[in-house]
Amino acid sequence: MIDDETLDRQLRESMPYIDDNGFTAHVMASLPVSRCEAGWLRAAILIGLALIGTGVAYLVGAGHVVRQGVVELANLPIWLLLVFAFGCGLIMGAVAVIFAIRKTPEVQDLVRLKF
Amino acid sequence: MELTDADLIARVLADDDQHAFGELVRRHQSSVRGLLRQLTRTDVALADDLAQEAFLRAYKNIRSFRGEARFSTWLYRIAYNCFREDARRRKEFVGVDEEQWRAEKDPRSVDAGLKHDLMHALSLLPLNERTAVVLCCQNGLSHDEAARVLDIPLGTVKTNVLRGREKLKRTLAAWAPN
Repeated sequence: MIDDETLDRQLRESMPYIDDNGFTAHVMASLPVSRCEAGWLRAAILIGLALIGTGVAYLVGAGHVVRQGVVELANLPIWLLLVFAFGCGLIMGAVAVIFAIRKTPEVQDLVRLKF
Repeated sequence: MELTDADLIARVLADDDQHAFGELVRRHQSSVRGLLRQLTRTDVALADDLAQEAFLRAYKNIRSFRGEARFSTWLYRIAYNCFREDARRRKEFVGVDEEQWRAEKDPRSVDAGLKHDLMHALSLLPLNERTAVVLCCQNGLSHDEAARVLDIPLGTVKTNVLRGREKLKRTLAAWAPN
């Protein structure tokens, strides 16, 4: 009768390594579309639709409104333009920070911590 | 430097990096497919289908992996669940397979010319003992890890491993040339 240690060793040695033979590729092909790719696709569609919408609005006669807006913006006092630019930068920065935090796994893990 | 499983999982979580997940599949495919081949009694096609399903589920649910256990243990659990669900669908899932048990009791029913006596003896064990032996003795999981994978009490795992080992020893002793 063989002992436990010998039996375990024989069991481990009897387990052959199974060659991949395209298994991984098969699994990868069955994965759903990556969320990143889906995000890019969504962004591209939204930007495209926004551009088309802008073009259509311009063509149907709203062009003078845009021109007037740009002219009025250019006529604003310099300090107001600076405040406007600073505000826009602040908003863009805040959005970037929020996205960066959402993408950081360490921060996401904080939510899972049990206190 | 080779990335650890944890690094790859972090990439999948952060950027939904499918290449990182592909590397995880490459690393663990052999052990997961090996386990499923043992569970399905070397039905290679079924085992590979179940392994593919297991990896797909792992990808979809990777956010629920908390890193408390090894990634391989988590994968084994998913693979075992896939096997169990499939067996239930096929209405073949039973705790103890009487036919196989009888075959195991009678060594003469086994082809003595088989090269892989041990693997054959293993395939003759009842499912619960075979699974416990494959996980603990073959794949090196602790009893505690195997209990998590199989979702059964620790004592049951120990008993199944003990019984499986004893049966393997008896079967192999009967096959051994005098």
